[in-house]
Amino acid sequence: MIRLTDPEKSVLDGKEGPLKKRALQFIVDYARVLGAERLCDVTRAHLFAGAHHYMDACLSDDIDEVISEMLLCSPEVVNLDCFACYAQSDVGPMDPVKWDILGIPRERSAKNRSILEKFTKAGLFPAATCTPYLSGFLPRRGEHYVSTESHAVVLMNSLWGACANADGIEAAFCSAVCGKTPFWGNHVMSNRKGTHHFRVEFTPETVMEWDLLGYVTGSRTPTHSIPVLSGDLGDPGVVELKSCFASMATTGGAELCHIAGITPEAPDLDQAFGGKASLAEEIITFRDIQAAAELFAGSGTAVEYVSLGCPHYSIDQVRDAAVILEGRKVNRGTELWIWTSPAVKDMSDRAGYTSTIELSGAQLVTSSCPLVCEAWPREASSLAFDSLKQAHYIRPQTRSAVYFGSMADCIEAAVTGKWERRSPR
Amino acid sequence: MKKIVINGRGVWGGVSEGPAMVSRETIQGWSGLDEETGTVIEKGHPFEGLSIKGAVLVLSGGKGSNGWSSHFHAARLKGLAPAGFVFPKMDSRTGVAVVVTKVPAVTDLEEDPFEAVRTGDWVRIDGDQGTLEIIRKDGSE
Repeated sequence: MIRLTDPEKSVLDGKEGPLKKRALQFIVDYARVLGAERLCDVTRAHLFAGAHHYMDACLSDDIDEVISEMLLCSPEVVNLDCFACYAQSDVGPMDPVKWDILGIPRERSAKNRSILEKFTKAGLFPAATCTPYLSGFLPRRGEHYVSTESHAVVLMNSLWGACANADGIEAAFCSAVCGKTPFWGNHVMSNRKGTHHFRVEFTPETVMEWDLLGYVTGSRTPTHSIPVLSGDLGDPGVVELKSCFASMATTGGAELCHIAGITPEAPDLDQAFGGKASLAEEIITFRDIQAAAELFAGSGTAVEYVSLGCPHYSIDQVRDAAVILEGRKVNRGTELWIWTSPAVKDMSDRAGYTSTIELSGAQLVTSSCPLVCEAWPREASSLAFDSLKQAHYIRPQTRSAVYFGSMADCIEAAVTGKWERRSPR
Repeated sequence: MKKIVINGRGVWGGVSEGPAMVSRETIQGWSGLDEETGTVIEKGHPFEGLSIKGAVLVLSGGKGSNGWSSHFHAARLKGLAPAGFVFPKMDSRTGVAVVVTKVPAVTDLEEDPFEAVRTGDWVRIDGDQGTLEIIRKDGSE
């Protein structure tokens, strides 16, 4: 049975207007479904904002009606004019500047701009990235936040001990509007102990190997489990871990992953499991990640489309790509897209990386990704990604061959126009 | 056959029935469901090629994208919603999906629904009483 505070009851009574009332009603319904006993305050929200394709299910041209139906689940049309907490945007359905070269129709671009204007007038910061933590979204340990990006939840929960569930687009929006979320799941510190132990028997050396490790771990992670990785895992940074968590949250449902000796709630294995035994233990070997790489391997075939930057590249990754591309030309007949956030692109512009990238014939684009903007060539014989998240999700939607490799593998393919068989190491 | 009723906790009210679609393997959030047709497109999934429209989905939980709920939300608006949900245990992705799909749903059942129900069985969900009833086993009268 859920207990609401007097201020919460007053919002539900409509004392703070229909927008907040509808948002809180959604959160209370959600809390009842979960079986939560109370709500807690949310301080930060990372939100899908824009004319996303799934919003097309609401056929109205009226933006307020679209927002009311698709984000508040409200038959009553209300006006979004305020957020209750710090809010910044997740990826949108296009690069807001280069939408035309992505082949996005003018009408969708116009609709996207109108929705973003509505959100920013209400107080949303237009960071437009799936890597909010690289653009100032930094919840501390124990802080309650919401996010529409699955890997961002795993990363911020795991690396900093911040608190969020993977609750989805509508709930995240409603939390941002009313400032509340169910006090349930990862918001309760005692629920955050590891459940399943993955003993990693190799030391991942590259971003590609961390991506593969996440992919394999996710595919073996049962529903509702909290994986714990242990072993000689070297010295991963945020770049390695964002790729690892992105693929882990693709093949599995993990919302939190402890890494023994590395993440703060797991100073050692014993504390990672809260002094209890793990429910199951599995071994992950180098052969396992080689087998995962085989799923997206190929040899000697022409590549027409290459995309880098899922999750969005950090500034040092953009620099590394520029260094590899310097003085080279992307093959005629092959496209090379590099995705990042607007803030990182601004730095890249000023550092000169953007001009190096563009001189090669590649494009540095922001605010979206192939999966979210749904803009990849449907007629291409093959597509290549340096991200298993993109490769895994796009494969069911295409007849093209889908390849996965490192940044360097992908750039080589873009320059030569050919995909060569890759294997980690 | 003898009527089988499994008690649990109702999480979204109402009564509905339909053919069960049962999988311990949940559907992935992105590239799991084709919103235009209600068909599961996830490669290698036991439901690949099947439509969720009018079915009672018995799933272990959510995985993949945080957009899990939005695909069911879109399916409802297009008239392709499932008839109901059965989850052995709630999680955040499925919790939001229940709220946006607005169809009867039950959880925390006294028996393991993956043992009791098979794909194709005709089942009834009572979200007010919190029960899952197996009305007819697949192939039986």
